[in-house]
Amino acid sequence: MENIKNKKKNVMDGLLNYALYIILGIMILVVIIIDPSFISIKNFTNILSQAATRAILGMGVAGLIVLQGTDLSAGRILGLSGIVAASLLQDVAYASRMYPNLGQLPLVIPLLVSILIGVAISAINGFGVAKLKLHAFIVTLGTQLLAYGLALIYIDRPPLGAQPIAGLDERYTNFVKGAIKIGFGDNKIEIPYLILYAAIIAVVMWFIWNKTKLGKNMFAIGGNPEAAAVSGVNIVKNIMMIYIIAGVLYGIAGFLEVARIGSATSITGQNYELDAIAACVVGGVSFSGGVGTIPGVLIGAVLLQFINYGLNFIGVNPYLQIIIKGLIIIIAVSIDVRKYIEKK
Amino acid sequence: MKKSLVLLIVVAMLVLSLAGCTSNGEESTNGTNDKLKIGVLIYKYDDTYISTVRQAIEKEAENDTEVELLMNDGQGDQSKQNDQIDILIEKGVDALAVNIVDIGAASSVIDKAKSAGIPVVFFNREPDTEVIKSYDKARFVGTKPEEAGIIQGQMMAEVWNEGKYDRNGDNIMQYVMLKGDADNPEAIARTEYSIKTLNEAGIKTEELGLQVANWDNDKANQAMEAWLAKFGDKIEFVIANNDGMASGAISALQNAGYNTGDSEKYIPVFGVDATEEAINLIKKGAMTGTVKQDGEGMGKAVFALAKNAAQGKDFLEGTSYEYDETGVAVRIPYQPYK
Repeated sequence: MENIKNKKKNVMDGLLNYALYIILGIMILVVIIIDPSFISIKNFTNILSQAATRAILGMGVAGLIVLQGTDLSAGRILGLSGIVAASLLQDVAYASRMYPNLGQLPLVIPLLVSILIGVAISAINGFGVAKLKLHAFIVTLGTQLLAYGLALIYIDRPPLGAQPIAGLDERYTNFVKGAIKIGFGDNKIEIPYLILYAAIIAVVMWFIWNKTKLGKNMFAIGGNPEAAAVSGVNIVKNIMMIYIIAGVLYGIAGFLEVARIGSATSITGQNYELDAIAACVVGGVSFSGGVGTIPGVLIGAVLLQFINYGLNFIGVNPYLQIIIKGLIIIIAVSIDVRKYIEKK
Repeated sequence: MKKSLVLLIVVAMLVLSLAGCTSNGEESTNGTNDKLKIGVLIYKYDDTYISTVRQAIEKEAENDTEVELLMNDGQGDQSKQNDQIDILIEKGVDALAVNIVDIGAASSVIDKAKSAGIPVVFFNREPDTEVIKSYDKARFVGTKPEEAGIIQGQMMAEVWNEGKYDRNGDNIMQYVMLKGDADNPEAIARTEYSIKTLNEAGIKTEELGLQVANWDNDKANQAMEAWLAKFGDKIEFVIANNDGMASGAISALQNAGYNTGDSEKYIPVFGVDATEEAINLIKKGAMTGTVKQDGEGMGKAVFALAKNAAQGKDFLEGTSYEYDETGVAVRIPYQPYK
């Protein structure tokens, strides 16, 4: 009798632990039942490429969450680095350019500038957390405003004044929006470059997290900072490194996102950090630190985009879509907390 | 066990809410696949003026059995709007009506539409004319910024010509101007053209003061109080770029004893927008006139052009609309309200 009861309990627990995926699975099924044309390769690649920049951002934020931190500045950093990249890559023939005398730059220079901006601001976050022992929530709340203010100053300058940075160089937009065609005849599948970029970054990040000392230290610090310090891990250095890596990813995401949108304004990147954090939470990165995987973040980002896309596809009222997203996040966290309590 | 029960309930709620809120959509999609689909992209659902345009578009569609609308809220985020356009194209819409979030992104919206061969009607927020012209199936429906100023000027000229507001009898209109924003094209055009129209009507003007009051009631109120203290009776007209600032000025005037019903102590005040508040003030006789931006008219025009395009007809076929000098833009006129 005891055995059966235990078994039942185990099944129930298993179901609960996967409840989120079950709900999301059911929602996707409902979408498909309502509109079967949802199942198409084009829809699928659309979803993946829409999720790509958020997944890159999410992989950066995930490391900070593993360290028991968070990042409210990710979206604004993405915005700032994207704005600067766009201003350096306006089409030479475009009339209202920010730098009228600037020639055609190789793509790699603006990309590096973007990354530098991401690293600089993220390093401030890291310094605040590691050295000044501030809570990540507070530092990043501050740097978020800092990045936003800088973006406003950068974008609102004479002679043009505040206006969107548009008319992007075609090399730049093709680099981001282009696609590889696979297959023969009419059955060609287009795989957008964006998906490939996100995949490459995911592989690199997986390697850092799982195969390097830095990755192991990150989980050790996130799981139990005191124990990690006692066992000789250089906490400050490791935390700084993780923040700097996050900054690199924000810079890359900013560079890619602006070309995907087609122009940059001071609003670019606003609230993206929330999507990234949501992707982490849905993907099983625990806010209590020390737990998380790169594939989890990817799944989280893609699932959320699946829901976004699907709800839009079947024409759910836009306001309700926001509410549904909110509920998903609450459920994700409540499951996360449950797992954490059990561990203790 | 309790926890699992709670979770189960939440699951049930989520699924039900999803199923529930789409049931309406289901009815309209079932068996109506031959309907024309028009994707409507609104830059932000909770914008006051745009929501009147949106409701007008939806009303048009309700009375039209041939068209089905696919409504989208960009939530002020161009990246969301781009995603929505991808979805709409994948759903096979016959035309797009785009209230773009970021006018700079118009060319990437056009790229998407062009590669799918879908016509686009931009509205309200005006992309660069050159960008619209880059695609033969793109048009714009909007207003002309200077027109609000011109209509304001015409209304003022009428009131001035009644003759009783030239307080000092010098045949020159002494006015104060409340400007919305330093560099907003609407604010610049309204400010410039209201005065220009007066001058063209043969009325001499003298500017006693101009304040950038950020479209804001309170800032306008402060400016008006300062002007009243400085110029007092010398102020003959008050001109504001919008009704919010006009109402701020009126409350300052009323504190000083003007515009409260005594026709001897009345300074004409003009605004733009025809907000409920302004209409009320005009009814009570505290405000003189405003300019109405015709949201319904814009909604009707957007619907008509998009429907024509969806059917593969010429955008203007069977309508009374005309393009302006650009050849790709339809302008919805402002209307005087007094």
